[in-house]
Amino acid sequence: MSDTKSKAGFRFTRTDMVFTGLALVSGLACLVVAGQDAFMRAVAGLVELALMVLPQLAAGLLIGGLIQHLVSRESIARVLGSQSGWRGLVLASGIGMVCPGGPFTSFPLVHALWLAGADASVLVSFLTAWTVIGLNRLLVWEIPFMGTDFAVLRFIVSLPLPLLSGLIARWLLAKSIMRFEPSSQNGARS
Amino acid sequence: MIWSLVFMWTLVLALGLLMLQRKGGEGLAASGQYAGRQATGLIIRLPMALAAGAFLAELLPEAVMANSIGPDTGIAGILLASVLGGFIPGGPMISFPMALFIWQGGAGTPQIVALMTGWSVFAFHRVLAYETPMMGWRFSALRLAASCLLPPIAGLLALGVTTLVDIPITTTEVF
Repeated sequence: MSDTKSKAGFRFTRTDMVFTGLALVSGLACLVVAGQDAFMRAVAGLVELALMVLPQLAAGLLIGGLIQHLVSRESIARVLGSQSGWRGLVLASGIGMVCPGGPFTSFPLVHALWLAGADASVLVSFLTAWTVIGLNRLLVWEIPFMGTDFAVLRFIVSLPLPLLSGLIARWLLAKSIMRFEPSSQNGARS
Repeated sequence: MIWSLVFMWTLVLALGLLMLQRKGGEGLAASGQYAGRQATGLIIRLPMALAAGAFLAELLPEAVMANSIGPDTGIAGILLASVLGGFIPGGPMISFPMALFIWQGGAGTPQIVALMTGWSVFAFHRVLAYETPMMGWRFSALRLAASCLLPPIAGLLALGVTTLVDIPITTTEVF
């Protein structure tokens, strides 16, 4: 979902090219390997899937936009960077859960927090929460595709995971199994 | 499916009202523009990704997939699905259509939970494209080491919940 910040309307980006190529190659392979029936079945399924997903995707994008403008990235950084301990892990999990956007927005934030003195285990919790129980992904992708029942089940069983991964990371660091400092030479690409 | 739609648009309405109260029409317009920009970026990519997902799913040996992570495969199926998830390429545009097709092909619900969690935490494409360049390989190693148990745990918890509650969660019949 990168390259979406272009202001001057539509542009055919390199990512678009990759996906177009992937669709063409897989479509051709499907036609050749699996036959015409399979190809037509895929196309029919595709149309139905698109009709099912689009109204919810539109709602998801609007929700993403609203959250983006209701929660400022600076306030996220301030609260997370100054906290640690149990509170830090819980906070990081909560913030990761509501943090919108793709890896191109979250990793610059995580790197900035790291340089600002946030604990690596807190950032592990944050990233786990963002990927596993992220509301943005849940609303935009999971509910439209997998249905509410599945999304709720997966969300509930995944709730303890961010905290758990943060605790394991903290244990690994405390046992000196892994010890390191943030490296500032890896420049954030923000 | 209709409930998902109602839920989503109710949330849009609620957040919209909150925004109106806090930042007025300007906030609403800015949010709408953000959504519009995101949508513009997806116009080509999303249909192409959906098509690729549908075609790839036809090419996947679904019977093999269904047998190896089917509802009766239990813990072994959950472990296998956890690993397989890490190798699903691309972002949510590719992975969710693929997961749906695999699910409809006969995979078990706890196994799909493990698959999606495996994709979420391992996501080797994201590690290579974003995490390692920005955070360094040591951080990635720490995060992966701290996360490697999570997909099986999620799958096992889902197995427990679906067994205890006895509510069959099945795919919507798209086809």
